[in-house]
Amino acid sequence: MLQASLEFLKREFFKYYYENISRLVPPEPIKSREFGFFLEKGRGMFRHKCFNSLRDFHEFILNEIPLDIYVSAANYEDPGNRDMSEKKLVNAELFFDIDAESVATVSEEESAWICQKCNQYGIGLRDGCPSCGSPTELVRLVSEKQLNGALRETEKLIHVLREDFGIAPENMRVFYSGNRGYHVHVNQEDFLNVTGEGRREIVDYLLIQGLDEKELLNFLKRGVSIEGVSLKGVKRRVYMRVLEKAGSVEKLKTSRRETVLKMLEDAVEELKVRIDPVVTIDMHRLMRMPESINSSSGMVKRRIRLEDLPSFKPLEEAIAFGDEETCLKVKIAPRFSLGGRAFGPFKDEEVELPAYAAVYIVCKGLGEYAGR
Amino acid sequence: MMSENVLRAARYPFLPETREFVSRNIDLSLESLEKTGSEAALKRAVERVKNALIFKEVKVTALDELNYVREMLSFPIAIILVSMIMNEYVRRMYALGESRGAYRRMLNESDETLLYIGEKMGVGGVLDDENTIRVKIPTYLKLAYSFHAPHWKLVNRAVNNGYVSMGKTEYARLIQVEVNNYVYEKTLEPVPAGAVPDSFRRAVDEIVEVWGRLETGKASRVPLREREDTPPCIGRIIRRMENGENASHFERLVVATFMIARSRSIDEIIEFFSKQPDYKYSVTKYQVEHLAGIRGGGKKYSVPSCRTMLTNGLCYPDEYCKGIKHPLRYGEKNVAGEPRVP
Ligand code: SF4
Ligand SMILES: [Zn+2]
Repeated sequence: MLQASLEFLKREFFKYYYENISRLVPPEPIKSREFGFFLEKGRGMFRHKCFNSLRDFHEFILNEIPLDIYVSAANYEDPGNRDMSEKKLVNAELFFDIDAESVATVSEEESAWICQKCNQYGIGLRDGCPSCGSPTELVRLVSEKQLNGALRETEKLIHVLREDFGIAPENMRVFYSGNRGYHVHVNQEDFLNVTGEGRREIVDYLLIQGLDEKELLNFLKRGVSIEGVSLKGVKRRVYMRVLEKAGSVEKLKTSRRETVLKMLEDAVEELKVRIDPVVTIDMHRLMRMPESINSSSGMVKRRIRLEDLPSFKPLEEAIAFGDEETCLKVKIAPRFSLGGRAFGPFKDEEVELPAYAAVYIVCKGLGEYAGR
Repeated sequence: MMSENVLRAARYPFLPETREFVSRNIDLSLESLEKTGSEAALKRAVERVKNALIFKEVKVTALDELNYVREMLSFPIAIILVSMIMNEYVRRMYALGESRGAYRRMLNESDETLLYIGEKMGVGGVLDDENTIRVKIPTYLKLAYSFHAPHWKLVNRAVNNGYVSMGKTEYARLIQVEVNNYVYEKTLEPVPAGAVPDSFRRAVDEIVEVWGRLETGKASRVPLREREDTPPCIGRIIRRMENGENASHFERLVVATFMIARSRSIDEIIEFFSKQPDYKYSVTKYQVEHLAGIRGGGKKYSVPSCRTMLTNGLCYPDEYCKGIKHPLRYGEKNVAGEPRVP
């Protein structure tokens, strides 16, 4: 990224934070959280930072204009300590991350490849450079289709958290990550102290891992109707799905065991909630700060009210910047839509784009700022 | 004044009312214990610890219950004796023995009593119908993770609206874990060295002598030494396997999961197992990959907890095991002190 581009980003980021700083409210108590920041491109994370007050936090952001802002899911006695075990973990929110990548793969038309070695590039998912053969850098745009898949997955997660785990809606906060996923933060008293081992069990439950298939299979083969079995939880859900697939109890009884097993496995595939397990198990995780800018796209990690979830449009509602025309030199860009408009495709051209789309292209590394 | 409640307090001496009764009616300071002629209670306390070491279970008879003052008093004394021995194996074995005994007795209790004990031990349950009790998910997770069997996994449980449902036996098992934790924690509290009466020292000698004659826990009788990276229980299995001794299925699981947790490669692990007399490459490879989660639905198997190790007779702790619940935490909490060795 050229210096001019970086300065452009910092200017735009500053405008956003200057106008919206009051929206950046870390979870309470702020004093016991660890914060992390990416301050410059290509530099490591600046972490183990802590703040005494919301004001200090806001001041820091407006002074530094970080590229990315993170806050710990955990509360610590000494959040600023650089030694993880010396931080003294008190408890931690439950944190779930659903990455669009794990739900649906990105399509060729929404990606570009760039060879850093010989400066070739093109549309598509090529992992080797056609002229020099070295590995390419792949740029995946934020795909609406993928995000929709991830949103359905998020709804599944919320459903299970409510129905099975008894998480009250007011203790759940749902976010669009600003790039290619969704986050769910759960801040419910009795779950704060669940240990890493316990969190692993929650993860296995959501991903339906370690399920005792034999027992279910026996129930199914005996053709017990759903009223007849005293199943609850995820087992019940799997059972019902298989019944639905088979059409009737009778069908199940007469099907071969392997056939039923296949139906069962398919049902598990459909019902499992595709969260990223590592994120949830690790109590020391840093979470992207709500309402902060995600520098891999220039969009905001946006809170979504539960009732708005079905109709949420990330590519319109998470835009952080204005629409002043901005001049860009674009290397390569597949066709993309943002803020309700469609752009591109572009190759080797100078174009005028609204600021939010220009930031997006620069953040994705597909073009450079060329003045206003 | 001997009501059902008093009997219950004698039967489950870890309940808060037992503590209350003891502190209200009896002076528990060490000097006065000596004077007030609590000979009988001391004797019973020694028996408690011996029961735990020999039978792995502290038994309480109807007669013991009738002698309720002696019975209630013997529990805190037994804890003092165990702390004085300052040995991890004895601490863990005693906690296991007390909790096992309590578990057996709980199985014969009415629903109300069982729920009452659960409530008092922080394992609150709600009776749904005659045979099911439900427990809050976080409580369940805290206690059930130390069980290895698949049916304890949350994914295989009846989970609904924040609760896990189970039968009475399983509920009693959860309480047992909490009793075990409680007793163990108690034995970690140091005893003020100066104040200990001679009769207590003699009692300790008696216990240590009995323990010395038992096969188990020998490895733990080595005095404090340099801490190694591998916890003693697993180190012991590894050394035996290196000598070509045939290890049980469970021991192999322990070693394999441990090596996986320490990021050793599949090939390294298979290489290690090749010294086993009944080694077959393909079988071993399959099993190790299964444990590592490469096969069989991607479920990675974890190293068994200290509880599971202890119940399988595989715990040989040293002082660096103090306070840990999982072999992978070995050495994390160490508070050193010279252990008592027979
Ligand atoms: S790590 Fe746990 S199981 Fe192993 S020896 Fe120590 S206390 Fe026993
Ligand atoms: Zn090239």
